[in-house]
Amino acid sequence: MSDEHHGHIQLRYHPGMPMSNGKTCMWLFLSTEIMFFAGLIGTYIVLRFGAPSWPLPHEVHLSEPIGAFNTFVLICSSVTVVLALEAARVNRVGQAKGWIAATLLLGCVFLGVKAYEYQAKFSHGIYPQKPHSLIYEKPDLAYASMVRQTLEAHQVRLASAGNPSTDEQDQLAVTGTLLRHFARPAELTAAQSGNQQGQVVLNRLAAAIMPHGDQMPVQRKLLKQEKQELEKRRDGLDAKLSPLRMQQKELKSRGQENAATEEQLSELNKKIATLGGEAIEVEGRLNAITILAGADHGLNEKYHWLHLPMVIPGGNMWASTYFLLTGFHALHVLVGLIVFALYLFIRLDRERAPHIEYIGLYWHFVDLVWIFLFPLLYLF
Amino acid sequence: MSEQPETGSHSESDATEDEAHHGGSIKTYVLVFLALCLLTTASFFTYSEFWREHFSTQAGWAFMMAVSCTKALLVVLFFMHLLYEANWKYVLTIPTIFMSIFLVLMLIPDVGMRMNRASEERLRHMAIEHVTDEHAAETTASEDNSAVHSAKEEHP
Repeated sequence: MSDEHHGHIQLRYHPGMPMSNGKTCMWLFLSTEIMFFAGLIGTYIVLRFGAPSWPLPHEVHLSEPIGAFNTFVLICSSVTVVLALEAARVNRVGQAKGWIAATLLLGCVFLGVKAYEYQAKFSHGIYPQKPHSLIYEKPDLAYASMVRQTLEAHQVRLASAGNPSTDEQDQLAVTGTLLRHFARPAELTAAQSGNQQGQVVLNRLAAAIMPHGDQMPVQRKLLKQEKQELEKRRDGLDAKLSPLRMQQKELKSRGQENAATEEQLSELNKKIATLGGEAIEVEGRLNAITILAGADHGLNEKYHWLHLPMVIPGGNMWASTYFLLTGFHALHVLVGLIVFALYLFIRLDRERAPHIEYIGLYWHFVDLVWIFLFPLLYLF
Repeated sequence: MSEQPETGSHSESDATEDEAHHGGSIKTYVLVFLALCLLTTASFFTYSEFWREHFSTQAGWAFMMAVSCTKALLVVLFFMHLLYEANWKYVLTIPTIFMSIFLVLMLIPDVGMRMNRASEERLRHMAIEHVTDEHAAETTASEDNSAVHSAKEEHP
């Protein structure tokens, strides 16, 4: 053999790097991916810590245990990919396919949990964008008028419903009370009074719809105080009204004997009307307070169908960054899952081991991104 | 003639495969997996009563980032076999890491500190700050006065 080649230069292909082209390409691709996610995560960090205010996890319905579970799922899927690679290297075809199937399953679990989390946010009116988003940055007049408009829309919708169910009747009653004795007065007071006094009213409006942690006990205490005052006022009005009503009855029973009694009666009627109107107002406000006091965690939490605009300071920026980061990550997971699904139809033997390695590198990178996203989004 | 280079490259790729195989055994992977699970639970440690009593929130963030970096390092070194690769790994990783960190640093004066010297117009439209515990206590103590006061602070 050496005789045959004697005198010839033996050419031998020598790769530029001590690894296959596929691996080189995957690593180059991954380095661009690192830049891509570094840009996203870096922007998130800078926005989050530069923001004047940022919502707490439970305010935007983020559940840390669910996030941790998803982290665990992704870590497990990383291990199964590695095991698939090891199995393929020693030519255990069936085992390799089993591990790839397990990875596919775990990836689907991850996406399923993610979808469930998204659903929890959407159902609470947390979207990255209006018109679906119910998030307001601060309680101002625009916010108060939006609350009023939402209640009015509910009222119109419920009132126009043909033969309403008992549920709908209850909803209509709640909507009416809240509109007349909660939203409208708050908006009116805020619009009429000065900046600071109005702000207090608006803050209470927002706190009743969605209290932020420490606002809850304050709200409860203020409502209790107001209730006591109103009850006192109601008793006072009752005390004033009952003798007047007696008098009215008496005058009526005496009939229209002369002009003097008639005049007396009409004056009495006027007095009763004003006092009675006040009493109805007080009674209505008391009803509203009963509703508000019953909804300890906010109206939106108790009456899910209300979907009132809520104040979450920094909530819009939070929603934008959260959905962007997790959305891009979920897209990457999806791409990985498509490749794993295709691998199920291929014989995964020793020849294919490098291919498993390439997709494995990608999958580990996706896991890596989640390792950073989980604490940043859920725990910070 | 054409057969020869192919077999040559084949044997070479086999060699790198064997090399990679040499480092990562199933046992190593299981150990790494356990470490990753342990570290994930460790980030929850910052939620404990003990942590809140002894350390600040900022220390918690630093701790969690340290945990994340450790986890990332474990994944990259063992699962992505970077530990067993040749020196080319530095060519790829070091510039990318530098540029990633640089990117964040570049954004800080532009975006991160945008509220530090914001105009009054901008401040008027920014989100309100979270009510702190002290504020809540004040509001309950003397109702409207302090609430008005805090409102004044929020809107200069």
